[in-house]
Amino acid sequence: MVETGDVHEEILFRPIEQTGRGFYWTVAVLSVFILWGVVAYVTQYYWGLGVTGLNEPVSWGFYVTNFVFFIGISHAGTLISAILRLSKAEWRRPITRMAEVITVMVIFIGAGQILIDLGQPDRMLNVLRWGRYQSPLLWDATSISAYMSASLTYLYLPMIPDIAILRDRPGGKRKLLYSVLALGWTGTEQQHRVLNRAIAVMGVLVIPIAVSVHSVVSFVFSMTLQPMWHSTIFGPYFVVGAIFSGIAGLIVAMIVFRKAYGLEYYLKPIHFRYLGQLLLIMSLFWFYFTFSEYLTGYYGAEPEEMKVFWSKFDGTFAVFFWGMVLCNLVIPLACLARLAQHTVVKVLAASISVIVGMWLERFIIVVPSLSSPRLPFPPTTYWPTWVECGETAGSFALFALFYVLFTKFFPIISIWEIREGREVGIKEVEERVLSYLPGEVEGQS
Amino acid sequence: MEQSNTNQLVKTLQWLWMCVFILLVGGIIIWISHLIYAAWWLGDVPSASIGISLVAMPIFVVLLSVVLYVFWGLAVRGRGQ
Amino acid sequence: MALWGMVIDLDRCTGCQACVMACKAENNVPAVGVDQAKRGRIISWMQVLTESDEQNPENKMRFVPRPCLQCDDPPCTKVCPVYATYRNPEGIVGQIYGRCIGCRFCMAACPYNAKYFNWYTYQKEKPGQNPDVSLRPKGVVEKCTFCHHRLQKARAQALAENRQFDPREYVPACAESCPAQAIVFGDLSDPGSEVARLAQSPRAFKLLEELGTKPKVIYLTEGEGGG
Repeated sequence: MVETGDVHEEILFRPIEQTGRGFYWTVAVLSVFILWGVVAYVTQYYWGLGVTGLNEPVSWGFYVTNFVFFIGISHAGTLISAILRLSKAEWRRPITRMAEVITVMVIFIGAGQILIDLGQPDRMLNVLRWGRYQSPLLWDATSISAYMSASLTYLYLPMIPDIAILRDRPGGKRKLLYSVLALGWTGTEQQHRVLNRAIAVMGVLVIPIAVSVHSVVSFVFSMTLQPMWHSTIFGPYFVVGAIFSGIAGLIVAMIVFRKAYGLEYYLKPIHFRYLGQLLLIMSLFWFYFTFSEYLTGYYGAEPEEMKVFWSKFDGTFAVFFWGMVLCNLVIPLACLARLAQHTVVKVLAASISVIVGMWLERFIIVVPSLSSPRLPFPPTTYWPTWVECGETAGSFALFALFYVLFTKFFPIISIWEIREGREVGIKEVEERVLSYLPGEVEGQS
Repeated sequence: MEQSNTNQLVKTLQWLWMCVFILLVGGIIIWISHLIYAAWWLGDVPSASIGISLVAMPIFVVLLSVVLYVFWGLAVRGRGQ
Repeated sequence: MALWGMVIDLDRCTGCQACVMACKAENNVPAVGVDQAKRGRIISWMQVLTESDEQNPENKMRFVPRPCLQCDDPPCTKVCPVYATYRNPEGIVGQIYGRCIGCRFCMAACPYNAKYFNWYTYQKEKPGQNPDVSLRPKGVVEKCTFCHHRLQKARAQALAENRQFDPREYVPACAESCPAQAIVFGDLSDPGSEVARLAQSPRAFKLLEELGTKPKVIYLTEGEGGG
């Protein structure tokens, strides 16, 4: 059952079949940043972690911040893809593939940050040989492995029909790759049933895994006894923050590729409007958690906690703290309150602001608690060096490169799901709405 | 003739693809069991290992089953009718 | 089974830091250099903290020598992912340099900041080092071990001389070197030992006791309660 699709669909195949100058320029620019990151890491590997700005007591800095940040971004895929699929929201159809790709790519980058942070990276296999499950880092290792495999599967399964379309394209390239990955898909009833069942199960499975991933990342901090880390709110706080930053990341990726590949026909203002509304809700949610956390600390006024609190409010870290509030609450509220006009611009501004703000939030969680130890040590400051900045820039660039390379091999918008939306979706929605309206129910008098 | 050669190659690669996945997820399941054993042998809070694996193992097992189910349903049983 | 512990009398401590120097000499603790020290990377297994007195902040200082407090419920061992830091049956919290992957989780977890990291290869083989203590490579965590090598040596000595090991033969470098005899070391589980007797003193207190780490370094406060 091969469909020809309409003429607009050709634009979805173009990135796979043609490579323009824009692609090469993008790869060149990204490679420069990746090179900076590689040089930074080689320097660190050779000389030791001393080339960073880390010290005693601030022994965790940029790398751990990046780790939490990137793992947070990975929640884009789960929320949009799984939850919207399960709730049968039809507007998800052009978005799910992009969201799932973000998740898969960024998880590798995020997990890599911890490996970069190790003082003895050649011993990383010690975690496999002598891992201790009492340590939150092992919970991290397990749940991130689970999330990696589950989200990879959850990306791959809905891609199978699209890979089959690519395989069957007349005059297409990479036939062998697509034939292997398509697993003999021909679109029969039975195959559709198998696939839909599997996708449904994965959709349900991936959500608790995603929640566990960021909760477990938060437990790395909350299971210690440090002031303003040892807080019960961290689990839900981090998950909310992750979904928040994930949606922002997804919006930025969508807008970038919409422009680069000319996808305006598929990614319409209504999609950005809905995502913008979700972003606004998450901003308020995030603010609620932040407010609870800080009010509790302030009201209890425990001296060691207050040292950290004031260092954030009007001390060394005030710039970052208030910058975070500005970027995560004020700017999104201003941009997203009315989305009827200039939707895309407003949503883009809000998303970039949130990405910056959420990175600042991770930084504000990691560094101030370490900077103000309980015992009377002399005060120290933490300043990142070029190594940490290079590693951060390189990580962002590597993620972008992975993403761009993916779009060269597979369609970034799920072609079969759009077709399904046209053929089956409208009817299904109509039937569903009719079932909500008052009327006789079959089998009852 | 050439068509069936390519078909054979494709089938072999697909089986290989599945084996890689099984090795990966199976490997993780074996790793978790190894950690339970190590914790028990060292007397180092084995309850933590058992607790975590009670949650983690079923997830990996379900994941493995779903992928094998899809592979079976698409590539083996439902092949190109 | 012994339970090694320490009592530090703050009324006797003069802040001379002889304990700090003795510890560094005994354990091959590297001198990191002026630049590294300015960046906050001094390694000092025994560190003397200074606190100004609450009632008399201008005039009075309190010196608190802080080794690793060898907690009985150590927050650092809980979070180590590879069993590189552990509590042995005699109460000493050990560090396996060869296993440590340098994740620094134990450093983040220790409320006393008793753990130090080798940010560079600070220590190379040099004449005059203590041959009983191994040199640490870069990228691993190290901390006070109550001079555990001295315990092993004393036990081996007793075995070689075919006699019982006497707990009084085992004294860490800091306790040995303190000119004011402010540091008393011994077996807390032996009710007859000096350290067990002092630990029961009404002047005894533990640092950050409310966190529940159960430290085995007990401090004696100045005077009869804050003099």
